[in-house]
Amino acid sequence: MKLSFQLAFRNLIGAGLRTWLIVGILTFTFLVILFYNGLLDGWNLQAKRDAINWEFGYGQFQHKDYDPYDPFSLQNAHGVFDARNAQGLTPLLMRPASIFPNGRMLSVTLKGLPKNQRQLKIPVDRLDKQEGAIPVAIGKRMAKTAKLSLGDEISLRWRDKNGTFDAENVKVAAIFNTTISTVDQGQIWMRLEDLWRITGMNNEATIMIADQPMPDTSFKDWNYVNQEKLLQNINNVIEIERASARIIYFILLAIALLAIFDTQVLSVFRRQKEIGTYIALGMTKNEVTGLFTLEGSMYSLFSMFLGTLIGVPLFGYLSQKGISFGAFTADMGIGMGDRIYPSFSPSLLVSSALIVIISATIVSFIPARKIVTMNPIDALKGKLQ
Amino acid sequence: MIKFLFKGIIRDKSRSILPIVVISLGVSLTIVLSGFLSGAMTDMVDQNARFETGHVKVMSRAYAENKEQLPNDLALLGVDSLISYLRSNYPDLQWVERIRFGGLLDAPDADGESKGQGPAAGIAINLLDASSGEVERMNIERAIVSGALPDYANEALIGDEFAKKLKLNIGDEVTYFGTTMNGSMTFQNFTISGTIRFGIAAMDKGAILLDISAARQMLDMQNGAGEILGFFHNGVYNDKAALAMENSFNNQLKSNPDEYAPQMFTLRSQNNLGDLLDYANSMSAIFVLIFVGAMSVVLWNTGLIGGLRRYQEFGIRLALGESKGKIYRSLVMEATLIGMIGSLIGTGIGLVGAFYLQNYGINIAGMVDNSSMMMPTVMRAKVTPNLYYIGFIPGVFAMVFGNMLSGIGIYKRETASLFNELEV
Amino acid sequence: MNTARNFTGKMKKIILLFSFLFLGIMSGQAQDAQIILDKVDKNMVSKTEITESEMIIRGKRNVQTIGSKSYTEGNKKSFTEYLYPERERGTKMLKLEDRLWIYSPSTDRTIQLSGHMLRQSVMGSDLSYEDMMEDRKLKEIYDAIILGEETIDERKTWILELTASVENVSYHKRKIWVDQERFIPLKEELFAKSGQLLKKTTLSDISQIDGRWYPKKINFKDVLKSGNGTDFIIKKIQFNPAIPAYIFTKASLKK
Repeated sequence: MKLSFQLAFRNLIGAGLRTWLIVGILTFTFLVILFYNGLLDGWNLQAKRDAINWEFGYGQFQHKDYDPYDPFSLQNAHGVFDARNAQGLTPLLMRPASIFPNGRMLSVTLKGLPKNQRQLKIPVDRLDKQEGAIPVAIGKRMAKTAKLSLGDEISLRWRDKNGTFDAENVKVAAIFNTTISTVDQGQIWMRLEDLWRITGMNNEATIMIADQPMPDTSFKDWNYVNQEKLLQNINNVIEIERASARIIYFILLAIALLAIFDTQVLSVFRRQKEIGTYIALGMTKNEVTGLFTLEGSMYSLFSMFLGTLIGVPLFGYLSQKGISFGAFTADMGIGMGDRIYPSFSPSLLVSSALIVIISATIVSFIPARKIVTMNPIDALKGKLQ
Repeated sequence: MIKFLFKGIIRDKSRSILPIVVISLGVSLTIVLSGFLSGAMTDMVDQNARFETGHVKVMSRAYAENKEQLPNDLALLGVDSLISYLRSNYPDLQWVERIRFGGLLDAPDADGESKGQGPAAGIAINLLDASSGEVERMNIERAIVSGALPDYANEALIGDEFAKKLKLNIGDEVTYFGTTMNGSMTFQNFTISGTIRFGIAAMDKGAILLDISAARQMLDMQNGAGEILGFFHNGVYNDKAALAMENSFNNQLKSNPDEYAPQMFTLRSQNNLGDLLDYANSMSAIFVLIFVGAMSVVLWNTGLIGGLRRYQEFGIRLALGESKGKIYRSLVMEATLIGMIGSLIGTGIGLVGAFYLQNYGINIAGMVDNSSMMMPTVMRAKVTPNLYYIGFIPGVFAMVFGNMLSGIGIYKRETASLFNELEV
Repeated sequence: MNTARNFTGKMKKIILLFSFLFLGIMSGQAQDAQIILDKVDKNMVSKTEITESEMIIRGKRNVQTIGSKSYTEGNKKSFTEYLYPERERGTKMLKLEDRLWIYSPSTDRTIQLSGHMLRQSVMGSDLSYEDMMEDRKLKEIYDAIILGEETIDERKTWILELTASVENVSYHKRKIWVDQERFIPLKEELFAKSGQLLKKTTLSDISQIDGRWYPKKINFKDVLKSGNGTDFIIKKIQFNPAIPAYIFTKASLKK
């Protein structure tokens, strides 16, 4: 075995340029597969983490009238909650309202979060009481849509619990940057305490966000929606991306393997004298087949080595620094950050490496099988068979 | 000389057929797969183009300013002449009009009373005219869960979950209720011809798809449209051409002070798609590199085999007194010819395949349990200009290189040993 | 609803009595304000009315004139049929108390507007459906005081300030400028709870019709929106005609 290994190694090194070309291609393929998968995993993780941090928490109790896709449902979707039973729940109240940038009416959802909450990353803690105007936080996209910048004041019109119009200037005290467009576009955030005061809806909420997973329950007007269900959309999108990614690297791998296969065919064809010599020196045909197969799969070992040399620093760097895709804003039902940080899990590394090695071994073995059927004497003479 | 070699190639089938077949196959494979992967890499950008941004989009300046609000009161008017201007000045693109709108859908019960109401997100496209390509572009046929595409302007497709919520069945009538572009109230009855599922909750729960003629009538937007989208005929976004077009179009209207004057936006400048596009392009460049590299190895091997097979012939030719240099040159020339022929055939076949995949794609919906139609489940190739020449790199260069390497053997040969070879 | 109104009515009488006894000046002012409001009501509101009017809506890009004919009975019932332009012709609207139905001839459907839809603007104007829906008399839902006097277009007016006395009103406060001689409001401003001005109404072209003074042109303006507001022009008005009861039924929408 050791001999075969040494022989295979020498043969490959001896083949020079072509070996390195194949190894290069295989390394490239291996790295691309890793990169692509790592990118998807990173995106997936990040999208979920952002969705959890900015919007969903670990599950939500939603008011029975609340329908996230029907803005009109907000009118009635609110109820008093009992603070004693709401341990670990962060109340969020939503009210329809309007603002008037450039004299055009823009319908918005007014959202209130407790000022000392830590559940969501919405910066309500940065909303300190200011002179006159109520401080609010808006997202970057909203700031762009409504043409608002930090410190701007704008008239906000809403109705209190009795339906009486109220209007006051609000001041943009924080602009946050999030990948989650549903907490950004068309949303104005203020402290729950302020929202309670201006609407007269003390102790009311539309949804309550859990800080840890809870059993599926519902009580009174509140229905529990678990995290998995809230994240469904992201899972769907990632699954599609995964399917198309699989096709891409299947093709990449196939073409790299084709190069190995073809080289193996050539080797068996060209090196008949050598094969004959091995047999004459006492190797069995199976051992020779094994030697040739080993040579083929050694391409993959070389490329693992080279891949590690290039990949470890490169991917280490990328997963630290992330890759910029700009603020991709189109709403595909999933957030995409300014930077995606690829994530390379051990299972990803091992499974990708195994796929490359095993498939390289298989395609090396197929042409080498021909050796078994060779006539050793003809082979030794170098007669083309 | 070339004529002589050419005759040789044609007459000696064993010398030509196999390498040409292999090269053709290799080259066409390279082209098809490169095109396919370029397409697959840009799928998300492409998806955005088809649903939202177009390859270029024309909106009124005021509409563009407020486009998130779907401000149809600021929409383009006089669209007929604008469209014919665009069609005659930019014939490389297909120009289609779309209107996005909001409103309410009200489902009547048997007595005409409301049995359900819900907010609707409307998209009006050219549903009835197949030549607009819109149905295909938005993947609507595949998105249909029940029923069928509308045949008439008074028929509509609505989101599957929306239909369930309003307890609507195929063939039921539903009333749209909203405001016209002038702000007047407007009502319109539609017959539900089918329900759709795009896999994006916001759409499935509230979408209504209409033919643009119905929307114009309903929203009092005669000869108007919220947006005009331009798509390159080959379906592939051409950044350079789009930017040039944007420039020339907007420059002509620069001095026009009208806030409703049309303005053109490229895909790159919308939704911050630029960076994603750059990423996709560099990824596909890497893929092409891998293909060309791998195919080069394969064809180099073919060249080697081709050269090796002819050792005997070279032996005889040397023995007959031909100079080594001449034999070598003729070998390389022959390889070049074979490489050219193979590459030409392969590029031809490859382009046909790439175009086929660009038009029809490969459906991966079966690989996905919960398919979301907004995301492309049909992977398509993208025929880019570089497909026309990249095949020649492995096809000609690798082939010639392989032959050159195997031909080096010619110089190593001693005339004396040639007869040895002849015996065997 | 009715009992609540009776109750507040009774309350008001009691409060009135109290204030009369103990707070002479204040109550005198309040009562003056009430008297003025009563006189305005007498002028502006009749038992039944049939009006033909035009609404001029100035959009950003064009001006639309919409003609309509309305039948009203008190504050609670009204029926409007749109006459022109062609697009709107035959559209009818029926209001009974706090419910509103709209009939469109092109779809032959009657749709009841509810909740959120009532807050939309009427025909793109600066008026919401809800603004037209208020069916309670001002003095039932507001307490009025006289804030002062002002001369508008050479007419002396009282400035009345109305503050909501019940909870479920759209506008917490109103200011009304009432012509001192003719008892016609010349201007009205609607305020949010915070005191911010929301809407402004200007009444002009005051002329005498059937022995009473009546504004023939009313301009509504949502001050938060840009633009010049919506004009409402009375073409023809009949006071206290007999209106058959069937007009105020849903069946009449489809006729």
